[in-house]
Amino acid sequence: MSGSGWRIWPGTLLALGIVGLAACGVGALLWQAPALDATELWSSRYLRSVLVFTVWQAALSVFLSLLVALPIARALDRHRRFPGRGILLRLMELSLVLPTIVAVSGIVGVYGRQGWLTSLLQEWSPSLNWNLYGLNGIVLAHIFFNAPLAARILLQTLESTPEGQRRIASQLGLGPLWQWRALEWPAMRPVLPGVAALVFTLCFTSFAIVMTLGGGPGATTLEVAIYQSLRFEFDFGRAALLAVVQLLICGSLWWLVLRKGVTASLVPDRKLSGNSIRKDSTGVHVVTDGALLVTFTLFLILPLLAVLFRGFPGLLDALSPGDASLSGSGLLPATLRSLAIALPAGAASVLTALLILAAKKAGNFQLLSRLCEVTAYLPLIIPPLVLGTGLFLLLRPKLGVTNEGLVLVALINAVMALPFVLQLLRGPFNNLDPATVNQADQLGIRGWYRWRWLYWPRMRRPLALAMAYGTGLSLGDFGVIALFGAPGEPTIPVLLYQQLGSYQMSAAAASGLWLLLLLLGLFAFFNLLGRQPPRVKRVGHTVTEYPEPDHA
Amino acid sequence: MLIRTTLLLLAASLWPVAGAAQTPQELTIYTHPSFAAEWGPGPGIKQAFEAQCDCEVRYVVLESGGDILQRLRLEGENSPADIVLGLDTGTMNTARETGLLAPHQTDLAALELPIEWSDNLFVPYDWGYFAFVYDTEQLQEPPHSLDALINAPDDLKIIIQDPRTSTPGLGLLLWMRSVYGEEAPEKWQRLKGKILTTTKSWSDGYFSLFMNGEAPMILSYSTSPAYHMAIDKTDRYQAAEFEEGHYLQVEVAALVKSSNHKQLGRRFLQFVLTDKFQQHIPLKNVMYPAIDLGPDLPDVFNRLIEPVNTLYFDPAVVADKRKAWLNEWLDAMTR
Repeated sequence: MSGSGWRIWPGTLLALGIVGLAACGVGALLWQAPALDATELWSSRYLRSVLVFTVWQAALSVFLSLLVALPIARALDRHRRFPGRGILLRLMELSLVLPTIVAVSGIVGVYGRQGWLTSLLQEWSPSLNWNLYGLNGIVLAHIFFNAPLAARILLQTLESTPEGQRRIASQLGLGPLWQWRALEWPAMRPVLPGVAALVFTLCFTSFAIVMTLGGGPGATTLEVAIYQSLRFEFDFGRAALLAVVQLLICGSLWWLVLRKGVTASLVPDRKLSGNSIRKDSTGVHVVTDGALLVTFTLFLILPLLAVLFRGFPGLLDALSPGDASLSGSGLLPATLRSLAIALPAGAASVLTALLILAAKKAGNFQLLSRLCEVTAYLPLIIPPLVLGTGLFLLLRPKLGVTNEGLVLVALINAVMALPFVLQLLRGPFNNLDPATVNQADQLGIRGWYRWRWLYWPRMRRPLALAMAYGTGLSLGDFGVIALFGAPGEPTIPVLLYQQLGSYQMSAAAASGLWLLLLLLGLFAFFNLLGRQPPRVKRVGHTVTEYPEPDHA
Repeated sequence: MLIRTTLLLLAASLWPVAGAAQTPQELTIYTHPSFAAEWGPGPGIKQAFEAQCDCEVRYVVLESGGDILQRLRLEGENSPADIVLGLDTGTMNTARETGLLAPHQTDLAALELPIEWSDNLFVPYDWGYFAFVYDTEQLQEPPHSLDALINAPDDLKIIIQDPRTSTPGLGLLLWMRSVYGEEAPEKWQRLKGKILTTTKSWSDGYFSLFMNGEAPMILSYSTSPAYHMAIDKTDRYQAAEFEEGHYLQVEVAALVKSSNHKQLGRRFLQFVLTDKFQQHIPLKNVMYPAIDLGPDLPDVFNRLIEPVNTLYFDPAVVADKRKAWLNEWLDAMTR
């Protein structure tokens, strides 16, 4: 391997920095808290019920999300070529970055009391008494957000089963059951605990969904309780205590999962798949899989259509040049501001992720490796609000200039996106085939050249996707930006809330749609950047060429 | 290519953020989004005040009244704020107890509120009643009292806000308390069946749910219909008048003790009680002005409900009892 000092240090320092940042956030709250009363946790009936509900809804959401994700991943794996597959996969990637308030408005438009689907079902069977609010709504929304993510990851692992195995399975004429036992289950099994842990963490820390669709204090999560203690009770002690509980629960879950050694990446890295037609992708499976995929697509797309329908008239108004006095003038500057925060945040998280990965790869210490693992999951578990408030307490005397606030917002957003970005990049970064690495070592290709000729061609696509995720996550952020008070100059989510606060309903719907379109645009843009340039003559064959799959 | 494009984009996008020049006399006001937004009263008020003060008004927009208070507490003596604007009668006393505010020294004679006001720290700038706004197309016969609402069949659904995270939510808690006293927890348990959902903030409920037609009624302000009538030109959304009376909310502004521009700040607080400030309130903040605007009050305000009975707790009582009442509410709602 090439000289490794410069590869280890930046990444290690960054990883340490992130752990330190988290420790500072929670620590500052604990430090400000007058006296910590841990007994409150088990003596308060309310807090106990919060804890039980949080775990219960998260467990249920994980179970149902995986129940949906498994058959979808299998169906997508069986059918590798059908019109619209690429678009469906794009759609499945989007769910992670979709801002909750926009998605919830769409979900209500479909499954609410007056929703499209509800009215349809009610006409069909009037006795059906569907109610979105409460556990129903929370779990439904969690499936909407997490099933596509899980399916996408599982599909990824299915697609990466060695072509040889597939060919043999195909030659033996294995039926679906045997395919499952011999190929699919062994491929998915090692990833499942990680996927489950990821979805569990996301649902466990869910906030806006629970608050809007939950129905009341009976359905409160830990994250909501933290929010309340911080924002309205000024009870830093309780907030810190609850944050520690959250850290302990999710942290031990991840510890359990990681101890078993989950190697596969938890976010699709769009690695390449062969295009072999599977034996079992014909006959009756075409019909069942087709029905399954159509249903799933509708499940994903209907809420987005609801957002489109509500927002479209307002968006036309907002974008028409004549009517700039009302809503139109606000949207464009807000978009620029949002991008000014989101693009650096995305770039910072991608860069950090790369450095951490490099450090982990170059260093051979157990400790370093652990440290890097921790940074990959820590931001998932720590509530952004706790981190934000804690940092605010620490930086307080120096803060005040708004631009510093914006830098901090970008920084926290970058840290929050890090787990996903790391997951995206880890696979392609680590899976460089050994022969290539050996050859490069023998030829003494190091430093910049090593990056340029070995990594860059393999990494540009994942890098672009990672940028899209990092930027998208930050684009929809509302929590952190609200804390550090962007001045009278709102980002799009802030603008959306402002419009809501002053009855600008159609303008708000328009901003919601605009945010959605912007996200789609960003993904498309980075997807385009990630494309390989037209093949030119390469120097030798240091890069193993794979056939490009249709969808990636 | 990727890197270069990204860098270019970064440079282009950072440009509008940079370069906000500082002026010597700058009045920093912490407020919430609906005040400072471009269609809110903020911009007009800024312009009007700047025309007479030889200064620059800068709004720092925080998410809500609770956040303004939170931010002030976090910043303590180092706060760059000169004025906080957007606290209300529910959060006012907590703000007083921080000791971070200075007396306003403003003459309050012009005030026109449903209650007596003689506070030395807080200058009211608008007021309104909490009320249930209903959709006349979904609900022809709204309940006419809190009692009727509580005793209505469970198929009447309402949306309320969480008193732990929103001021109208807290308002309803106080409203129930002022009508039912010690019986409030029991009444909450009866009301529970009618609550479709409890949202984090007023906007979450109003936009995603009420305007989607999810429930025929939502906890809001008695003045909300004014916006729909004047701007949306529709009478569809109206407030239901309740016999027991309605709970009053007064929004206030105050001077921050650590301010470097106290004199300017006090001038602003005096300005609050003039026509030039107040004329922006009715249709832009959708609340009643704090002084008598005479014929300048938009006509739609004459078509709003006028509660016979104003319900109101002294802010000190609210500060004292809030936690206990919240816990009772939590208990009633999770039972």
